[in-house]
Amino acid sequence: MFKSLAGRALIPVGIAVTGFVVVCFLMLYSAIKNIVDRDSAVNATNLADTVLKSTRYAMLKNDNEILTTIIHNVGQQKGVEHIRIFNKKGIVNISTRPEELNRQVDKTAEGCIICHAGKVPVSTLGRMEQVRIFKNGEGEETISITTPIYNEPECSNASCHVHPAGQKVLGTLDIGLSRKALLESMASIRNQMIAFTLMILVLTVGGVTALLLRSVFQPLQKLSHLAMQAENDELPATPPTHVPRELDRITQSLYNLSKKLRAARNGTNTPNDSINPPS
Amino acid sequence: MTEKTDNQPAPGAATAQNQRDSLLMEINADIKRLSSFSNRGLLAMSLFMIVSMMAWRGFPMLPHPDATRALLGAPPPANMINLVLLLYTFSAIILSLSRMMAGIEHKSSFCHVGYLTAFFLFYHFAKALDDNYWAVFGSGITILSVESYRIWSYCKEAMSRKREQLEFVKRNGRLPLEE
Repeated sequence: MFKSLAGRALIPVGIAVTGFVVVCFLMLYSAIKNIVDRDSAVNATNLADTVLKSTRYAMLKNDNEILTTIIHNVGQQKGVEHIRIFNKKGIVNISTRPEELNRQVDKTAEGCIICHAGKVPVSTLGRMEQVRIFKNGEGEETISITTPIYNEPECSNASCHVHPAGQKVLGTLDIGLSRKALLESMASIRNQMIAFTLMILVLTVGGVTALLLRSVFQPLQKLSHLAMQAENDELPATPPTHVPRELDRITQSLYNLSKKLRAARNGTNTPNDSINPPS
Repeated sequence: MTEKTDNQPAPGAATAQNQRDSLLMEINADIKRLSSFSNRGLLAMSLFMIVSMMAWRGFPMLPHPDATRALLGAPPPANMINLVLLLYTFSAIILSLSRMMAGIEHKSSFCHVGYLTAFFLFYHFAKALDDNYWAVFGSGITILSVESYRIWSYCKEAMSRKREQLEFVKRNGRLPLEE
């Protein structure tokens, strides 16, 4: 295989084209995944902002019933995995999961450690740093965003509240969104890209193989057959036809030389029998 | 007056014999060198596999990306590294195919392992290795496979020429005329 002309011509081309197409496919998929992840993070952040703005009045009025109703209603929306509001001490005050209520969260857990890594917790985070992607208890991939609920003058000045003006963060809103639909879309894109890549490979390698076979290997086979015939003194009446110009020149020369050799051996001189090579 | 004995070779014949032996030794040494050189591509591939395994484990022997970022500053963004990787892969394949076409003996396999390791490190420090590991791995396998094939086919051809020369020298005591 490695010694034949076909092998020598096709193996490096096959490896180079296949490898390059696969690398391009991997990079394209990675770029698409990054864009989709960034967009889903922006969507989750927007949803968190919407929830905060919707619940602001209820928080100011300290109306726990309305606040819980809003959170539960938003939590019932398709794709929303959980919504929690923690107080300053990390205790869950409101949650779409009743079993989490009034429980302290683990500050070293994923999503909490980002702010609680040091002795003093970080009070401000960039947009993308607020986002975390992890697998929940059911093994489903979830994107979660943690937004601090900052103290505002209306909060510290309100008569019903006890938050001092110096307290910067009053609590945290945590929203988790299921990535199931997103992952299904990504899987569909991936499968389509694999199919396209395979088609490109088959077309490229197949096309090169077919062209080489038609234009080079088959004429070479004819030439090789003619050489064998000349060697065995079984020269055909006419030289092989339908050979590319470069090989045709060699074929005609080989045919004429063999004919001359045979004539010389038989003691006859037939110079006019030779076929003129193409110009 | 001294007499020559029949067993003693003439000085001209001894010189020719010496020349023939030295030529044979030289050709044999060349064949040996080409034989060991033909494995260079595979050695480079093995080294790349070891580097890839370390990258797969997240380079445990290296400092955390945050520590390096604090020391050296922010790495280039992953998109830019992607673009450079794509250009590098394209150029390396074209260069290798050109060398294959021209029949040049070039020992470039190990420097490709160095470039690919640099890509792994850049992605690691940019915290984008998880997303781009397979791209670098695929690129490395492609480039090193083409390079290995180029080196192997070059050596096979050169060794076959050298063997023909060896036979010629054994028969005629001199190298064949250059084509």
